[in-house]
Amino acid sequence: MKILAIETTGKYGSASVIDETGRVFSADSREEMNHLKGMITLIDEAIRSAGITKDELTHVAASVGPGSFTGIRIGVTTARVMAQMLGIPCIGVSTLKAMAEGILDEAISKDALYVVPVINARRHQTYAAVYEAEFTSDHEKQSAVNIMEEKQYMIEDLLEELRTKLAETDGAKAFFTGDGIDAYGDIIRSAMPEGSYLFADEEIRYQHSEPVARVALRMAEGGKTLGYDELMPEYMRLAEAEQRLKAGTLSDRIKRASV
Amino acid sequence: MKNGHFLTLGIETSCDETAASVVADGRFVMSNVISSQIDIHTAYGGVVPEIASRKHLERVNDVIGKALDDAGVSAKDIDLIGVTYGPGLVGALLIGVAAAKAMAYACDIPLVGVNHMHGHIAANYLEHHELEPPFMALIVSGGHTEIVNVPEYNKCEKLGGTRDDAAGEAFDKVARVIGLGYPGGPKIDRAAKEGDKDSIAFKRVYLEHGSLDFSFSGLKTQALNYLNQQRQAGREINVNDVAASFQEAVVEVIADKAVMAAEKYGQKRIVMAGGVASNSRLRALMEEKAGAKGIDVLKPSPVLCTDNGAMIASAAYYAFRAGEKPDLELDAIPGLEF
Ligand SMILES: Nc1ncnc2c1ncn2[C@@H]1O[C@H](COP(=O)(O)OP(=O)(O)O)[C@@H](O)[C@H]1O
Ligand SMILES: [Mg+2]
Repeated sequence: MKILAIETTGKYGSASVIDETGRVFSADSREEMNHLKGMITLIDEAIRSAGITKDELTHVAASVGPGSFTGIRIGVTTARVMAQMLGIPCIGVSTLKAMAEGILDEAISKDALYVVPVINARRHQTYAAVYEAEFTSDHEKQSAVNIMEEKQYMIEDLLEELRTKLAETDGAKAFFTGDGIDAYGDIIRSAMPEGSYLFADEEIRYQHSEPVARVALRMAEGGKTLGYDELMPEYMRLAEAEQRLKAGTLSDRIKRASV
Repeated sequence: MKNGHFLTLGIETSCDETAASVVADGRFVMSNVISSQIDIHTAYGGVVPEIASRKHLERVNDVIGKALDDAGVSAKDIDLIGVTYGPGLVGALLIGVAAAKAMAYACDIPLVGVNHMHGHIAANYLEHHELEPPFMALIVSGGHTEIVNVPEYNKCEKLGGTRDDAAGEAFDKVARVIGLGYPGGPKIDRAAKEGDKDSIAFKRVYLEHGSLDFSFSGLKTQALNYLNQQRQAGREINVNDVAASFQEAVVEVIADKAVMAAEKYGQKRIVMAGGVASNSRLRALMEEKAGAKGIDVLKPSPVLCTDNGAMIASAAYYAFRAGEKPDLELDAIPGLEF
């Protein structure tokens, strides 16, 4: 198995190749929002560093969101067309799940029970979820298990639910990650009890294709693959005009809105 | 390559059409798939950019697949991919660009970016197989009203353009004002056939003497004023008459200036392009006015006037032949100039 994984939902783009033994080869960009321009170069770098050719790929996985709509679209379109042209299946990986996966080791080593990826969706909105580390029987492999639904939360609501969860387990800590920390750090600090939370360091805070590849490998082993035309973005939000059409508040201004 | 022909795949997603086409030797359309989103955007009264890009993503694979199937070729037969990288809606453009790059990379096919406006001009190469530069081009669409001198393939010198609304935009706005709805251009064209073009005096805006620029934004105000006057006077409004009179005011100025430009640069041919080029009155008037000066008018059939992949393939073919370097780092440029 050789899975290509693409991550373009956040500020920085990256691509990884993972093989059946779990070895990962990655290429990442330090340029912000350079997804469209830089994606193929990153993919090619990841494939080369894995010592294979693109024709040896068995799956193309994409981080499908939530996140930047534009970023999601670039990654998903790239994955769909590569899979179509190479004649191989796709894997759709939840961005939040991959973010949780990415900091799991760190969270466990810091004794945090909960992992909380938070993506900034502006105006106090977030895309977020809460996961708990789960160990397999051999206590070696662990994975993140979803315990609070992946969805849109107001940051205040997310924190309130999380505080309730923490109160149920004495001394439990939450490990936050994602650009939600950059946007709502102060709100989190003032809402959460002292010592009940940690923030991921900037080096591991943002979306990356490596954990996307790890989640994708498990999904491929479990047969959770898709045809290229079944790989869909997870925007978690209707377009603004769709919301307004539904609510019956579509104004003339919106009708003519441009980018 | 198939049977000795150089095959170009053209991909176009700059606005609300997802389109792909296979063109042989830059001239012969082997397939031309256009998936229009008009039915979706009609509910909103115009193109909603976010929805347009969501739909492009859902449709682009199948549109490309169908373009290959219809042409009876497979991806490995394709020698070149061309994709629109601007101007257009950024979220819409990037779907085509991302798809084109992924295909180019996966199948080892060179990729060149195409300026959408060059594509509109190239539509004529598909219709008129003997046409070669130099000629004068008139581009009239929803976003553009431009007179362009074309000395060589893919070389465009803009001589004049609109200072406010594009011709198609004026059609769309006035159609809304008189209750014909979206898309306005074809509806006004149809209504005008039943109306009297001399019934209402819309101003012809020629700007400074000799100018090749346009200004159409005043026409909407004039239409509004006319409707108000009629209502206040309790007179009935004949929509067909308004459509015909408005249309005449737009196309007369366009035709006059296009002919003026051709004469000034000694061009014997005017090539039309863009959605408004399918306007029946503009076509007739162009032929009349240019014909009187011994200038030929060429235009693509309506299906090649609207946004399509074939015109992008043709422009890509000539750009590649002229030495344009393939580029897998291509970016979308929404405000791309000529
Ligand atoms: N028969 C017609 N008469 C006048 N305008 C037309 C006609 N058909 C289409 N249009 C106009 O052409 C424009 C669309 O053309 P297109 O080339 O797709 O524009 P763009 O790509 O700049 O949006 C719209 O404004 C539409 O109203
Ligand atoms: Mg166009």
